Amino acid sequence: MGLVFFSSSLVLYLLATAAFVTHLMGVRETARRVALTSLGLAFALDTAGLLARADQVFALRSPHDQISLLAWFLVAVYLLLQTRYRLDVVGALVSPLAFLLTLSSYIVYSGDDELSRLGSSWLPAHVAPAFLGYAILVVASCLSTLYLLQEHQLKSKRASGLTRRMPSLETLDALNYRCVAWGFALFTIGIITGSILAKVAWGTFWSWEPVQILSALAWLIYAVLLQTRSLGWRGRRAATLTLAGFVLLVVSFLSLNLGLSHGNGVG
Amino acid sequence: MVSADVEATERMDRGDRGAREVLVVGLNHRTAPVAVREGLALTDERIDEMNRLLCSLGGVDEAAVVSTCNRVEIIACASDGERMENEILSVLRDMQPGIAGDLDNLLYTHRDREAVRHVFRVASSLDSMVVGEPQILGQLKDFYARAASVGATGTVLHRCFHKAFSVAKRVRTETAIAARAVSVGSAAVELASRIFEDFADKTAMLIGAGEMGELAARQLVAAGVGGLMVTNRTFDRAVEMAREFGGTPVPFDGFPRYLPMADIIIGATAATGFVLTRDAVQTALRERKGKPMFCIDVSVPRNFDPQINDIDNAYLYDVDDLSEVAEVNLEERAREAGKAEQIVLAEVESFWRWFSQLDVVPTIVSVRAKLERIRQAELARVLQELGPLTDAQRQALERMTTSMVNKILHTPITRLKTHDRRDELFFVDAVRSLFELDEPEDP
Repeated sequence: MGLVFFSSSLVLYLLATAAFVTHLMGVRETARRVALTSLGLAFALDTAGLLARADQVFALRSPHDQISLLAWFLVAVYLLLQTRYRLDVVGALVSPLAFLLTLSSYIVYSGDDELSRLGSSWLPAHVAPAFLGYAILVVASCLSTLYLLQEHQLKSKRASGLTRRMPSLETLDALNYRCVAWGFALFTIGIITGSILAKVAWGTFWSWEPVQILSALAWLIYAVLLQTRSLGWRGRRAATLTLAGFVLLVVSFLSLNLGLSHGNGVG
Repeated sequence: MVSADVEATERMDRGDRGAREVLVVGLNHRTAPVAVREGLALTDERIDEMNRLLCSLGGVDEAAVVSTCNRVEIIACASDGERMENEILSVLRDMQPGIAGDLDNLLYTHRDREAVRHVFRVASSLDSMVVGEPQILGQLKDFYARAASVGATGTVLHRCFHKAFSVAKRVRTETAIAARAVSVGSAAVELASRIFEDFADKTAMLIGAGEMGELAARQLVAAGVGGLMVTNRTFDRAVEMAREFGGTPVPFDGFPRYLPMADIIIGATAATGFVLTRDAVQTALRERKGKPMFCIDVSVPRNFDPQINDIDNAYLYDVDDLSEVAEVNLEERAREAGKAEQIVLAEVESFWRWFSQLDVVPTIVSVRAKLERIRQAELARVLQELGPLTDAQRQALERMTTSMVNKILHTPITRLKTHDRRDELFFVDAVRSLFELDEPEDP
């Protein structure tokens, strides 16, 4: 049952990716409809798959469940934004990411990890907001990447079919700001519950683990980004900061999963 | 019956449809210089007159005159193409006796598939001076309506024009032929829309009274830019232009003070130095908290310091940059035109299938064949239900069904053989559609 859901949604994510790319290269509206439909279907399948194993999933014990949840959040955030803005180009980035995340959720060790043996009810309270925050920050990074592309093309007086199909700088910047604000808020909750989790499990809020240090740095960067907007740090600077924070987050996430940290930190 | 069917098919294969032809005779911006085209430009009354005249010529069934500043064309359906062409030529020669001798070299004639293809290409703006320009379709609709209003069009041209309009629509939606800006003004709008999402809450500032600047400002306002400030060394001129655009005049000496309010700045003065400096933009941007500024310099020599483009959130385009954008877009249109040509070709074939069946003899043959098939099938079914019959009974059934079919078909076929050519096409088209003769047969 799980495998059927899994392989169908993988195929649908691939299909959505291909259709988005086709749409962006040509003008065919059909490709766009195919892309959004297959992404929507994949999302529905994932939702059903998550609900079918709700009791395990919401305990969020295994990396498998955590990554599945991250993929689900990512697509959810994108689809929510797409209902209000025309963000086909973002879809072309989110679809392959969802594919990779779903695929890797099955490749990673799918038994219980060290975290799950903690058996703490703080675990979901940490993982859920942190991962929703991650998902939103991933979308923000996609928007920032597009901003930098569009900005570079405008400055260098070039245009491609792709940049013309992108949202305007104004939209990309405004959406990026809102995503970072929401992502930051959730990420903050994740950090707080994460340190409570650490306290419950190991008796200390902070233990200088790489994952903790990197997450704290990312948190600082996002805080700076949000604070300096009123000083005129928008556009290219904001996009660069968003991406810098994102790189730190990815590294901290990997450090957790590659065993550099014990996993008693924030990620 | 069968031999008649074969004969009709052979006739169609030869393209012989009772010698009915579609014809386009005319000249356009490629074949004739403007001096000739303006001599042939027609007033509305003259067009009505010509439409009537053409239809009154022997052998001409339908005609429609098209006359824009880039083309004069006569689209016609005639039973005698050769004669028709000569008539049209003489009509055109009469219009401008001075160039009568040259006219033959300037005119082109398209026949049959090529003629239909030409009409479709014109409607889709593939034959326009600026490929993809949107005006021609509306013009063509007007000229068609004009010809129809004096009764010059009939079944063939009616279908041909309507098909042309739908082909044009397909080309517009399925290719990017008209998607890109190809003038300096529209290039400015296209670039602005890559920076700004909503124009309504944006303000533009026009510095100077140069023609190109005025054009760019006009296009931006037409695209929805909410506010416009106008400044000029001569303040009266600024007031005058502001009134014309519904904008606000701003004194030239103090214009940098208003810069922070401007999202788009257009430079079009005759000044030789830089009117807008890097520092001025930097200061304005600081006050705007980094909200982007789009600087469009359409003046030669340039009014805006090129270094403005190095400032974060400021985007500077000079007149060459804008022309470049327009130029690149024009090339892209040419690429899209290739796709459009494919659409046109496919649609010509579909029109031609309809047109080549549009004749009395093949229609009679097909309608008879269709009813005969129905008769046979029904008869076989009844015979099976009735069980064994005597030969006499069987023949009686055959006779009865055959004569029913013949009696039913008698009036329609007599009508089809009417000798008025325009009525004939009307009935042929009606019969073909009522009996679904153009639909693929059920297996």
